Amino acid sequence: VDFIVVGGVCGVLHGAPLNTFDLDIVHSREAGNIDRLLSALQSLGARYRTPGKQSMAPQSAHLASAGHQLLMTDAGALDLLGSIGNGHVYQDLRAETEVVEIEAGLSLRMLSLPALIRIKEETAQEKDKLALLVLRRTLEEKSRK
Amino acid sequence: MGLKRQEMKAARRTRRATEKTHSEDGVDLTLIRWMLSLTPAQRLDVLEDHVRTILRMRGEAARS
Repeated sequence: VDFIVVGGVCGVLHGAPLNTFDLDIVHSREAGNIDRLLSALQSLGARYRTPGKQSMAPQSAHLASAGHQLLMTDAGALDLLGSIGNGHVYQDLRAETEVVEIEAGLSLRMLSLPALIRIKEETAQEKDKLALLVLRRTLEEKSRK
Repeated sequence: MGLKRQEMKAARRTRRATEKTHSEDGVDLTLIRWMLSLTPAQRLDVLEDHVRTILRMRGEAARS
């Protein structure tokens, strides 16, 4: 499945001391990828966690949209983002990613730290301001190394 | 050569001792430096531990 880790987990992977309860990813919305993603979601028992949709499983039409699908899975909360910031989609973001090896055989593609900060700034709400401060200082500290 | 290495060590110690602990906007830089010293997998472990602790505390608070 083609996806990019963004949000708080991406910040943590870059070394930012942040807390988050969900994993945010931007997925490729190409047909073949949506099929693979749906299959993975089924095996994780994914259901919507938004009120009124709570027992609903995501469908391919949902994953093909630019919207945000807020899910709960057997492994925890998962947000599937068709686009982020001012409409950035998987294909646009791919050039600004890096692959990080978590353990042997497990690598993740994540947004670069400068891109994460820039895109968060585009639509930052009050709740994002503290995280943005931490992300900017993390980038500074990384640059000093 | 040995003297040069000692001088470099001393310079590093001085730099560490004079490093700021917080940024002007109050961010704890010691935490960032500690996180940067870890591998990505270790950083995820730290996050998982924090989340688990918060959830446990929430559960205990709800029961009491």
